[in-house]
Amino acid sequence: MASVVLSEAEKLYIVHGIQEDLRVDGRGCEDYRCAEVETDVVSNTSGSARVKLGHTDILVGVKAEMGTPKLEKPDEGYLEFFVDCSANATPEFEGRGGEELGTEIANTFYRVFSSESSIDLKSLCINPREHCWVLYVDVLLLECGGNLFDAISIAVKAALFNTRIPKVRILEDEEGSKEIELSDDPYDCIRLNVDDVPCIVTLSKIGYRHVVDATLQEEACSLASLLISVTSKGALTSMKKMGKGSLDPESIFEMMETGRRVGKSLHIALQKILDEEESLGTSRQKVGFLG
Amino acid sequence: MNKSSLSRLLPPRLCLRGRAGPGSSSCLPPCLFSPPTMPLDHRRLRGPEESQPPELWAAGTGGVPEKEEEEDAAPQDPCALRPLFARAGLLSQAEGSAYVELGGGTKVLCAAWGPREAAEPGAAAAVGGGRLLCEFYRAPFAGRGARRRPGSAAERDAEREAAAALREALEPAVRLARYPRARLAVSALLLQDGGSALAAAISAAALALADAGVEMYDLVVGCALCRSPGPAAAWMLQPGEPEERRAVARLTVALLPALNQVSAVLGGGQGSPPDDWAQALRLGLDGCHRLYPVLRQSLLRASRRRDAAAAAATTTTA
Repeated sequence: MASVVLSEAEKLYIVHGIQEDLRVDGRGCEDYRCAEVETDVVSNTSGSARVKLGHTDILVGVKAEMGTPKLEKPDEGYLEFFVDCSANATPEFEGRGGEELGTEIANTFYRVFSSESSIDLKSLCINPREHCWVLYVDVLLLECGGNLFDAISIAVKAALFNTRIPKVRILEDEEGSKEIELSDDPYDCIRLNVDDVPCIVTLSKIGYRHVVDATLQEEACSLASLLISVTSKGALTSMKKMGKGSLDPESIFEMMETGRRVGKSLHIALQKILDEEESLGTSRQKVGFLG
Repeated sequence: MNKSSLSRLLPPRLCLRGRAGPGSSSCLPPCLFSPPTMPLDHRRLRGPEESQPPELWAAGTGGVPEKEEEEDAAPQDPCALRPLFARAGLLSQAEGSAYVELGGGTKVLCAAWGPREAAEPGAAAAVGGGRLLCEFYRAPFAGRGARRRPGSAAERDAEREAAAALREALEPAVRLARYPRARLAVSALLLQDGGSALAAAISAAALALADAGVEMYDLVVGCALCRSPGPAAAWMLQPGEPEERRAVARLTVALLPALNQVSAVLGGGQGSPPDDWAQALRLGLDGCHRLYPVLRQSLLRASRRRDAAAAAATTTTA
């Protein structure tokens, strides 16, 4: 993760402030920074979303392509995640520096989406054992300002909500050759149901308390953090502890409760924004990249 | 040199079952079905790129074999711990080593090397303490399913993920501040996957580090849990391979028992309320506390063995 160099006095200042439930930018321990979400920013994709959470800037593009189903699950499609940490985010990501972080994030998302209830993969199947939709979710880190996992999970959920997969039929001739028939209407498409897609909440342990949505400076002060993925109904689907320090079992239980509370409110706010954007339709003003 | 002494220098001749063709080298066993005049080039025939085990196709045709498997497995008490065998100090080339075997058949061999000079002095100097490098290898025949191709990208990714999880579990326990600008290496090899592989690897790696004499705050004990499908299914400690395959949720925890600090939590699966996960976590931590004496005993035995061997060596030389 990108790191900042902090003096001991600055670290003390942050830790003592958090003991009093007061963070450097005036937030409480369970408050998120102001987040901007915009979908359908890239026209060549099946779905895209851009999320700006403070200084963290994430762009997600989803491309739906036809492929063969996996052998163990012949009547389901699947998702492939790829995370690219570009050198724009921090100079540490130059060359192959960001590869390790990218694979870690991608593996976390594979685990979060591995539960069967998160997304209905059977709707992605065209012909069992032969054809299915493969959703390639590509995440680009444009700027790194702390709390990457949360921002990426919000962007992935928004992009999946925005994804439009064309309706396709496979016709078989008498000789056995297959023909792909695409429907003529460009607006006739499958939309994914993202009600159960989980969002990741990262809780960083600083001093004796834990904070949500840590900035880069706060991440430098925390030794251990817990990553939880929460669905909109408040169910936890995955957990992972990150960092060099260890956690007390009691604080893990507290962090899980906080994560569930915060995750539920995050889902409500995100769904409201997405529905609002959807209702505006074509009359929506697109902000683009310099807004 | 005369002919008779020359013949004594040659290596003993291997006897072959079939007849060697004129072109094939003598060290390769000839194919029994080929005519003696036509040589088979065994070096080029590699077989198909993609291969699958036959069980995948057999399972799809009927659910009957699976049901039989379920009935055979006796209902297990979820809090019962399977027997664990741990032995430290068995490899001669590594400074510390450990072998852990679980009741389900999981076998992990781990080796650790003490402080060496860090390869990139710049990165280590910035951090201040030492660095812990972990590696996790799965033998290609370790899993019950298809053979994993050793060089494939998916395999490398899975190994890297497991190595990162191992490092996260061990870092809180090792006193890295005592080894500035040094690197400690740990390498885990999974010989057979019978469920709870990562948990066994964590315990083995901690034992190997302690055996190597690296300063640690406490031994790390790993424990795995899983939950089977069904509405009221309970969490089960140390699942075997069939239970893990059928599970809808899995959790691995690593604990420093003497300090009661959790060093790793890694879990995923079907969503459930936090109380469910909290209960699973408590069960896992309890299991770690119960496994701790076994690992301590193996470490004590290994140091006694080493002392006895050293004493025997000094008496013979003296």
